[in-house]
Amino acid sequence: MPPPIFLNKEPMLNRYRFLLKKIGWSILTIIFVIILNFFLFRVLPGDPARAGVHDPRLDRETIEALRVRYGLDKPVINCFESLNPIKLGSCWINPADTQFFIYVRNLLLGEFGTSYAYKIPVANMLVGRLWNTLLLIGVGQVLAIVLGVILGILAAWKARTAIDYTALLSSLLAWSLPTFWLGIILLFWGSSHGLPIGGKATAGTSSWPLMQQGVDILRHMFLPTLTYTIIFLGEYMLIMRSSLLEVLSEDYILTAKAKGLNTFQILKDHALKNAMLPLVTVIAINLGFTVAGAVQIETVFSWPGLGGAIFNAVGQRDFPVLQGVFFLVAISVIFANLVADLMYSYLDPRVRSE
Amino acid sequence: MYVRKVFAIALLLSLFAAACGGAPAENAVVRIGWAGSPDTLNPGMAVLAEAYTIYELVYDSIYDLNLDGTFSLSLAESAEVSDDHLVWTFKIRDDVVFHDGQPLTAEDIAFSIGLYQNTEDYPWMGDYTDYFASYEATENNELVITLTDPIPNIESQLVFLYVLPKHIWESEDPAEFTNLEMIGSGPFKMVEYSQGEFVHLAANKDHFATPPKVDEVVFQTFENLDALVQAVKTGQVDMITEMPATAVAALQAEENMEVIVGAPFAPVVTDIIFNQCLPENCPAEDGICTGHPALLDRNVRLALAHATDKQKIIDVIFLGSASPGTTLIPDGLGVWYNDSLTDYAYDLTLANQILDDAGYLDTDSDGVREMPDGSLPLTFRVNWPSDSVDGPRLAELLSELWSDVGVDLELQAMDPDTLTSACCPAFDFDIILWGWGSDPDPSLLLSVMTTEEIPTGSSETGYSNPTYDALYVQQGTEPDFETRKDLVWQMQEIVHEDVVYVIPYYDPSIQAYRTDRFTGWVIDQPKLELSDPTSLVVIEPVE
Repeated sequence: MPPPIFLNKEPMLNRYRFLLKKIGWSILTIIFVIILNFFLFRVLPGDPARAGVHDPRLDRETIEALRVRYGLDKPVINCFESLNPIKLGSCWINPADTQFFIYVRNLLLGEFGTSYAYKIPVANMLVGRLWNTLLLIGVGQVLAIVLGVILGILAAWKARTAIDYTALLSSLLAWSLPTFWLGIILLFWGSSHGLPIGGKATAGTSSWPLMQQGVDILRHMFLPTLTYTIIFLGEYMLIMRSSLLEVLSEDYILTAKAKGLNTFQILKDHALKNAMLPLVTVIAINLGFTVAGAVQIETVFSWPGLGGAIFNAVGQRDFPVLQGVFFLVAISVIFANLVADLMYSYLDPRVRSE
Repeated sequence: MYVRKVFAIALLLSLFAAACGGAPAENAVVRIGWAGSPDTLNPGMAVLAEAYTIYELVYDSIYDLNLDGTFSLSLAESAEVSDDHLVWTFKIRDDVVFHDGQPLTAEDIAFSIGLYQNTEDYPWMGDYTDYFASYEATENNELVITLTDPIPNIESQLVFLYVLPKHIWESEDPAEFTNLEMIGSGPFKMVEYSQGEFVHLAANKDHFATPPKVDEVVFQTFENLDALVQAVKTGQVDMITEMPATAVAALQAEENMEVIVGAPFAPVVTDIIFNQCLPENCPAEDGICTGHPALLDRNVRLALAHATDKQKIIDVIFLGSASPGTTLIPDGLGVWYNDSLTDYAYDLTLANQILDDAGYLDTDSDGVREMPDGSLPLTFRVNWPSDSVDGPRLAELLSELWSDVGVDLELQAMDPDTLTSACCPAFDFDIILWGWGSDPDPSLLLSVMTTEEIPTGSSETGYSNPTYDALYVQQGTEPDFETRKDLVWQMQEIVHEDVVYVIPYYDPSIQAYRTDRFTGWVIDQPKLELSDPTSLVVIEPVE
């Protein structure tokens, strides 16, 4: 029989254990991603040294020089000279002199290697693009969340009225639209109304006054952000509506109504907090993937973000860039999931005790 | 509260004013839309054509490449060659300055050539210096180049050796240097480069030969071609360097718009490769040589040539805007292209007749012919690189066209690397649909069909003809232009006669510009490139 004094501490202890377990799993997942990310690109066919240069005239010395430049002349890992084709090597070499070790060390130092196509450090290349992506996707997500939640509440509260059906139908439509297609349609529409359709700013405007530059960027952001908002708005609205409808059918809402509370009070104090739970999960997971950018939207509108980088790197077989982007995406998805878990446990105490 | 409101209104007003203000510049800015972006501003390391477009504008070299495939002197006033064709003396102009004000001398040119020749990491700039035994600047501002062999094409070796300022490059690692300032001497100077977004250039009004009439040029990257077309249509750009053939008709119907189709500046050719590597030529080291025996027979290749409706292929893939090809040497090579060859006409009766006469009959009446000894059906594997846009369509069309003469095709796209290893020098295929890009000099494409290149992997067909090989060597040392041209034309005749390839078309360059913005674009030349200095230094704003 446990001494009664421990009873008070147990929830606290549980909470820490839950937290530690979640963080531990996240770290394990990141280590797994790092290892996978390395070997994934080593087992793919093709000589990375030739990847940036498709030309039969490339002579052996040049290829050798490129291999040395990218560190590909070193064995992949102890016992393996290369993985495609599989070539065995000595197991008794210094592990610090293998590609795998150098890769891990560089990663810890924040270096992602050198882009085969652009010959510049991947980290430099991705930083600017990361901000562009965060700007576009951040604004798009906030708009989609705010509008989605408002429309969802409206539809649920006015359930089975014309407002509800209109909102439901248009959300379903928005959610099921192919991103690329919607982007192209908006591109045609926007460009004929004088909106810019390429890049994040007018080229050669870095000498303009700041205010003017800001307006220029806003104009360039308009169409891609609109596309992004429409695509995500539908999803959020639908989830919000159905989850709120479920909550509104609960007995305690009936009790609240019986107490004489008005609509606003019921929604604000009783229904919304519970109804938000499923939405939090979906948003958190979506946010994790936002770092990858919206590949399609960024491609349609030539937005210089990470999505565009993925699109180009796949075409050019620029493995270090892909490796860098995949790593960023993995980290942010894992992080977002962790945050979602923790938030969930805060919003819904039942999760913690599991 | 009141103060805050006033502030908010002021902010709004200023935003509004900013939005309406537009660009403060009164400069004549040419906006060019393209679908790519330079990979690097370091000329030695660059691979993509977009990078070379920028180099052509920002740098000078000893020769300029004209749009008809000929060369003219640029940095040099005169060129003299010794009687044995081994020593070239170029007198360099005395009035050339770099964008930073430093003079450009023969010293800089010799330094640049040395850089290209001695930097191992440069993928192919070094190839242009293969025949240079020495290169020295004299006190007289002359450059003396001594060659190892009397080559006939020194112009095409020098034309891409962009002259870099020694005072900047000598203290840099030639492979690592990002060259963002990009000091050159050309008609345009670098203002700002944002990788994957834009390249912003300003006119070098002090250029010794061709000071531009416009003030600035901006290249803007559009990641997809529909956006590119829409951008020129709505006036966001003044010219686009490429566009899909499917948009030609619609864009032509627009007001103030000119759409031009022509041979590209960098010649491109699409080829149907027949594996005709003979067993005795199968590379000892890497050869697998599984080609279909029927393709070794000229009759079969000839019949397939007659069964290829090139016009239909061009109509489907390019909506009519491309020219049918004859040999591997495309029309984009200008004077080197043999335009006197008569192509094999599309004639199914003749094609069937040829196969009948040669003994390839459909003995089991399944619609597919067999080998004369009945051993194998004429079923060919057809592969193309999976990143090719036109590959699948071309393959489908060929499958349809050649079934009319009793030939069956097994179509399969392949990852480019896998295809390379199946192709050459392994010769583990029947037919491949692929292509080549070329230098302005025909030597590279001609070498592809020599016996010598079978084991190296450059020869895709395994074709071997001693007469052709001998002519190849001869043209490579023939200093007289006319004689060399005759040799090159003769070689095209031979490979056309032997049906080494079927060339469905020469890829066209399709560009468009707005007629209400700038005038003077050069469009009457054999080759088309509106982003070449040829056009950009002469165009003027429309009044």
